[in-house]
Amino acid sequence: MNSTIENAPTVQSTFSGGKFLSFQLSKEEYGIAILKVREIIGMVDVTSLPRTPDFVLGVINLRGRIIPVIDLRRKFGIESAEFTNETCIVVVDCGEEAESSFRVGCIVDSVSEVLTIGPEHCEGPPRCANASGDFIDGLAKLKDRVLILLDIDKVIGDIDPSALTGGAA
Amino acid sequence: MSIVSGIQSLSQIIDRLPAGGYAVAAELVRQIRSVETEAHAGSCEDLVQLCCAAAATIETLVGNEQLIESAEMIEQHLREVVAYVEEWAAAAAVARGDEQIAVRAPQPLLIAGATQDQQYVETVGMFVSNALGALSDLEEELLSVESAGERLDETIDGIRRTVHTLKAEFGVLNMLAPQALCHQAETTIDAIQENGALFPVDTMLAFGDLIKQFVDSLAEDVKADFGDPEPMLNTLRRIAQQALSCLDDDGEPLVSVEAATAAQTAMVALPAPTTVPVSALTAAAAAVVTPPPSLRKKTAARVERTIKVSTTRLDMLVDMVGELVIAQSMVLQDPAIQCLDGQTLARNIGQVGKITRDLQEAAMSLRMVTVKSTFQKMARLVRDVASKSGKRVALSIAGEETELDRNVVEQISDPLVHMIRNAIDHGIELPAVRTSVGKDEEGQLSLSAYHQGGSIVIEIRDDGRGLDRDRVFAKAVSKGLISNDATSHAMTDGEVFNLIFLTGFSTAEAVTDLSGRGVGMDVVRRNIEALRGKIEIESTLGSGTVFRLRLPLTLAIIDGMIVRVGQSRFVVPTLSIEQSFRPNAEDIHHVVDRGECVHVRGAVLPVYRLKEIFDQADGCADLGEGILIVVEVDGHRSCLFVDEILGQQQVVIKSLGMSRERNVGLSGGAIMTDGRVALIIDVGTLVESVWNA
Repeated sequence: MNSTIENAPTVQSTFSGGKFLSFQLSKEEYGIAILKVREIIGMVDVTSLPRTPDFVLGVINLRGRIIPVIDLRRKFGIESAEFTNETCIVVVDCGEEAESSFRVGCIVDSVSEVLTIGPEHCEGPPRCANASGDFIDGLAKLKDRVLILLDIDKVIGDIDPSALTGGAA
Repeated sequence: MSIVSGIQSLSQIIDRLPAGGYAVAAELVRQIRSVETEAHAGSCEDLVQLCCAAAATIETLVGNEQLIESAEMIEQHLREVVAYVEEWAAAAAVARGDEQIAVRAPQPLLIAGATQDQQYVETVGMFVSNALGALSDLEEELLSVESAGERLDETIDGIRRTVHTLKAEFGVLNMLAPQALCHQAETTIDAIQENGALFPVDTMLAFGDLIKQFVDSLAEDVKADFGDPEPMLNTLRRIAQQALSCLDDDGEPLVSVEAATAAQTAMVALPAPTTVPVSALTAAAAAVVTPPPSLRKKTAARVERTIKVSTTRLDMLVDMVGELVIAQSMVLQDPAIQCLDGQTLARNIGQVGKITRDLQEAAMSLRMVTVKSTFQKMARLVRDVASKSGKRVALSIAGEETELDRNVVEQISDPLVHMIRNAIDHGIELPAVRTSVGKDEEGQLSLSAYHQGGSIVIEIRDDGRGLDRDRVFAKAVSKGLISNDATSHAMTDGEVFNLIFLTGFSTAEAVTDLSGRGVGMDVVRRNIEALRGKIEIESTLGSGTVFRLRLPLTLAIIDGMIVRVGQSRFVVPTLSIEQSFRPNAEDIHHVVDRGECVHVRGAVLPVYRLKEIFDQADGCADLGEGILIVVEVDGHRSCLFVDEILGQQQVVIKSLGMSRERNVGLSGGAIMTDGRVALIIDVGTLVESVWNA
C-alpha cells in the first residue's frame, strides 16, 4: 500500500500521513518518514571523499560498516555552519527493497521530535517555476509552524542509487 | 622388450621390500612409474592402470606411515602384476599379428586407507555440504510443485537445475551410479515437461531421499558405496516413457496415478543400500582386502562436518570484532586507565588484548580461503571430461593462492564446473579437427585468478573454436529467446554472446552426459550474480574464448602501506608498490608541457601528487619534504607523492557504500585502529584517470 503511494505520479492528495522525525536545518524544520530512519548518532570524524559532489561530506565508520555522509545544508544550498553539540547524523535506509537498500548519513543541525501527521494536515509541495527536484513530498501545517516533508530517497538519489551498493555483504 | 626388463628389475626390488621398508619404497615407486611410462608407450592400458594405482597407493601409505602394516599385501599384489606381465609377454611372443591376447589382469591394488588422502577427504567434505544444500533445495522445490499453479514451468526449471548441479558434483567425484541416476532424472523431467505430463512428485522425492541417504553415508565414510541404482533408474525410465507415450494415446496425462504407484513400488523395492548401516558398508569395503585390524580403525576417517552460515551473519561478526578491537585500544589508551596502577590490572588488560587479537584473527580466517582446492577439483574435472569427450586438453593453473571469501569460493565452484565443461565440450575441438586448422593437437585451457581494479577475476581461457556470433544469434531466434525481427547488426558482440546465458539456450547439437542441455550457462549467471559479480565473454571465432568472472572483494584483506597526505590517510596496496624514497632536489625536473618528473636509478618517472589528484587542502608542497612511491601500471612506472608513510598493515577492504564511478582511483575504504576510515587507493584507475584528465 505504501509503495503505491510513493510511486504515484502526483504528490498532491496522495499523502497518507504517518510518523515523521523532525529536524532543524538553518531556520526551517523538515521531516523524514520515521520508517526510513535507522538511527541518529552524534557528529563523528568524517573522512572526506575526493571527486564527489560537494554535498557529499565523506564517509564514516558506522560500527564496522562504511557509509557515505551528506551535508543537507550544502545539498539544499543553505550556507554552511559550524558543527555544534546539537549537530547530528541521521542514518537513513534508502531504496525500496531490502537487497538494494543502502545506508546514508545525513548531517542536520539538530533533531527535534517524532510527530504523527495526519493527511488532513498535509499539502502538496508548492508549485515553483525553478524547482530543481521533486524531493519534497509535501508540507505539513502544524499549529504554529510548517514542516517540509522530504522524500529522502529522492534527496539521495543524486548520488546514483542504481549503482550504489550497500556495505560489505 | 622394455616392459619386461622393467618388470624384472621391479621384481628384484620387491624381494628387498620386506627388509628395506621405507627406503625401498621410494625406489619401488620410481620403478613402478617407469614401467607405467613404458606401458603407456606400448598402449598397454591395463598395466598403466595397475601401475598407477599401485604407485599412488604406496605413496599414500608412505605418507600416512602405514607402509609396514601393508607391506605384505603390496608385495603379494606386485608379484601378481609381475606374473601377469610375464604371462602376457609369453602369450604375446607366441601370438601372431593382431590376435587378441587374453590374459586376465589382476585387480588394481586397493588398500583401505590408502585412497583416502587428505585432499580427497576435503573435497568430499565440501561436496557433502554442497550436496545437502542442493538436496534440501530440491525437496523444497518438489514440495512447491503441487501448489505452483502458473509458475509450474519455472518451478520445474528450478528442479532441473538443482538435479543438474547434483549431477555435475557427482561427476567431479567420479561417482558413476548417482551421476547416472541424476542424468536419468533430468531426462525424465525433460520428457515430462515437453509433453505436459503431470509431475511425479513422489517419485522425485524418493529419488532425492535415495541420493540424500548416500550423501549422508558419505559424510560418515568417504568410501561409502552407492549400492544398486537400477530400481530407481528403471522407475525414472518408465515414467519418462509413459510421459512420452501417454499423450500419443489420448492426450490425457495418465502419469500421475501410475507414477504414484511406480513410486510406491520403487520405495518398497529400494534394496539394501538405503538401509544398510554404514558399519556394514565399511565392513564390506574392508572385506575386499581384509586389512589388519589396526588399519581398519584409521581408515574410518570422518569428514569434518561443516555448517553453512549466512554471509550477513558472518559480516556482522567480523564488523563487530573489528569494533571490539578499536574499543579495546581506546580503553587501553584512555588516560584514566593509564594512571591506574596495579599488576593485576595490567595483566588483565594484556589478557583482554590478546584475546581480542586472537578473536579478530579467527573471525577473519573464518571467511578467507584460497581458491586452491576449487582449482584442484577443476583439474580433475578437466581430465575426466577430456577423456570422455575424446579430446586432449592441457590445463594450466595460475593464481591459486588468491584468497577469496569462503562463501564466494563455494559459490564459484558450480559455475566453474559448468564453464570448464562447456569450454572442453563446445570450445576445444577434437584432435583431428585441431590439426586440420593448424593448431596443436592438445587444447590449452587456462584457469587463473588475480586481483584487478578492486575485484577478483577468475579467468577461463581456451584456445578452441570460439563463439560463432551468427550461430549464437540464429539459435537465440530459433529458440524464441529473442524476437524474430531483432537484427544481428544492431547488437554488439558482447550482447550477442550474452544470449548464451538465457535459460534454455544451447548451441550444442547433441545433448550429452557432459553438457548441452542449455541449463549450464544460466546457472552460471545466476550464481555469479548472486555474488554481485559479473561475467564477461571475449571470443574470437576460430581462436578461442575467454570467460572472466569478476567477483567483488566484499571482504578481502590486503596488505597496505598507510600514507598521509595532509590530514588524510590513504592505504596504498603493497602489491602495487615497487619502492619508496625521498627525492633529492637535483633529481627533480620540470618537463615543459608534461609536469614534474623524477630521476630514479636511470629512469625518469612522472610524479603525480596525491594532494592534487584528491583535492586535499593541506599537505606538503615541496617534493623534497615528502616521500615518492614508485608504482607500476600496465608496464608504465610512475611516482605518487605523499607527505609520509605511516606504516604497513593488513586492512579489510570495505565498500564505500557509493557508486564506483564516483570513486575513480579508490577501491574502497578501510577502518583503521582509531575507528576512522582511510581510503584505499586503486593505483590502476588512479593513474589512468591522471592520464585521461
